[in-house]
Amino acid sequence: MKPRFLLLACAGITAAIAVAALAQAGGPTAKAEGVTFLGEPLTPEQIGLGRELYAANCASCHGSKLEGQPDWQRRLPNGRMPAPPHNETGHTWHHADRQLFTITQRGVSAVVPGYESDMPAFEGVLSDAEIAAVLAYIKSTWPERQREFQAKVSARDGGRS
Amino acid sequence: MKSSNEIRPTRRVFLTSVAAAGAISFLPRVGLASQNEATSKTLAFDGDNLLSAGRGLAVSGDDGRSWIELASPGRILALATHRDQPGLVVAGLAEGGVARSRDGGKTWQSGRGGLPAGEVGAIASAARNPDLLYAAIRGDGLWKSEDAGKNWSLAMDRPWLNEAERDPLTLVSVDLETGMGGIWIYAGTDVGLTRVPDCFCRWQEVLPGNAMDALVTGSASPPEAPLPLGEPVLSLASAPSAPERLFAALPSGIWASEDGGVVWRRMIEGTASVVAVHPGDEQHIAAVIGSTLNLSRDGGATWHARAAG
Ligand code: HEC
Repeated sequence: MKPRFLLLACAGITAAIAVAALAQAGGPTAKAEGVTFLGEPLTPEQIGLGRELYAANCASCHGSKLEGQPDWQRRLPNGRMPAPPHNETGHTWHHADRQLFTITQRGVSAVVPGYESDMPAFEGVLSDAEIAAVLAYIKSTWPERQREFQAKVSARDGGRS
Repeated sequence: MKSSNEIRPTRRVFLTSVAAAGAISFLPRVGLASQNEATSKTLAFDGDNLLSAGRGLAVSGDDGRSWIELASPGRILALATHRDQPGLVVAGLAEGGVARSRDGGKTWQSGRGGLPAGEVGAIASAARNPDLLYAAIRGDGLWKSEDAGKNWSLAMDRPWLNEAERDPLTLVSVDLETGMGGIWIYAGTDVGLTRVPDCFCRWQEVLPGNAMDALVTGSASPPEAPLPLGEPVLSLASAPSAPERLFAALPSGIWASEDGGVVWRRMIEGTASVVAVHPGDEQHIAAVIGSTLNLSRDGGATWHARAAG
């Protein structure tokens, strides 16, 4: 965890301030309201933390505005796929929470056995709570349609397991 | 790309010339008789009507006993029809672009609609939405149209198998849930079978649904009997009335799966090149084996060869 964020979290800043901070920051607008991850609601502070963690750990590949790498639907010369956008133009919102968590923690091959990709595994780099925060931040940027779609996919995934 | 097609022989040109030379016996032969006999490059059921496209286009209302020639919108490499919309036929053209008919192939509208130049080698309509089309452009990638072919956009690059990008030779929308809010698209390539969820999240191998659980728990993997490794999958069909039932045409024969493509068995040996299944009856199958059109009404237990129309 970034020291600055530990401080903020310890200081117990109010939700209002966190939301204001979100709105000010460059990236896509986050709408923390109603965002859950694996069924748990997240506070605006947690989503603010997620935004910071995203910038530090994910933005280099997935883009500071969640826009993905250029030409992300085209394979790289090594046969692997570039990093897709995490906004509504990508396909992240087709994955259930549990799958997003597994991909982030253990890489894509954890959900597609044998699959080779440049997506790193964040196990040992980010804690479970931090991974949930990053993914909740990503979810908070989606328009209503994508949020509803992904909520249904997550609900069905939960029902199956 | 167009220019490279002129220099480098395409697979089809290669097949035709090799077959003409009679060099390799397992390759589909291009017959010299009537177009319905040996030249079927693709088949599709439009309701009870069987469409056959090769050198030209023809339709049969009696399981291939007699044929009516139709005006072809071009050289058709692939056909798609839809169970919910009888009369709708979509054709992928060798000269590029896609043609669409609403009257069972009698009249056609062609267009590019943003599709790049290049052979449309495979085409499919989404099992749950006849307006949603997928087209594989040779040497390029997989494109999709959400408005019945008026406008196209790139969906995904070509699949990567055995260390190289592979052209889909055949595409089929399979009405089985992916767990990603949609269903699967299966593709046959010159080195085997692959599939992509309709979110185009990623091309992947066909694995048993519970393979993940086995991976996590370390329990025994469920049984698998894949198609012969490395063999071309020339044609695929999914039975809309029983979506877990798939059919594949390979140089080694017609293969069938009852579980969405994990376990396969060979239904009939022979140099198969095309397979199609009736939209409402998964027992009703048409296949080109060797140079003959064959029909089965009992799920592949018995086959009847059809002579030229
Ligand atoms: C080194 C570059 C890189 C970094 C850093 C990175 N990713 Fe990725 N990520 C990728 C690539 C490449 C893919 C596409 C993998 C594929 O499909 O082949 C991907 C795919 C994903 C997917 C799957 C998306 C989908 O719809 O299939 C998720 C989820 C994801 N990344 C989350 C994250 C998160 C969260 C972070 C930061 C904690 C992160 N990634 C950091 C490269 C990266």
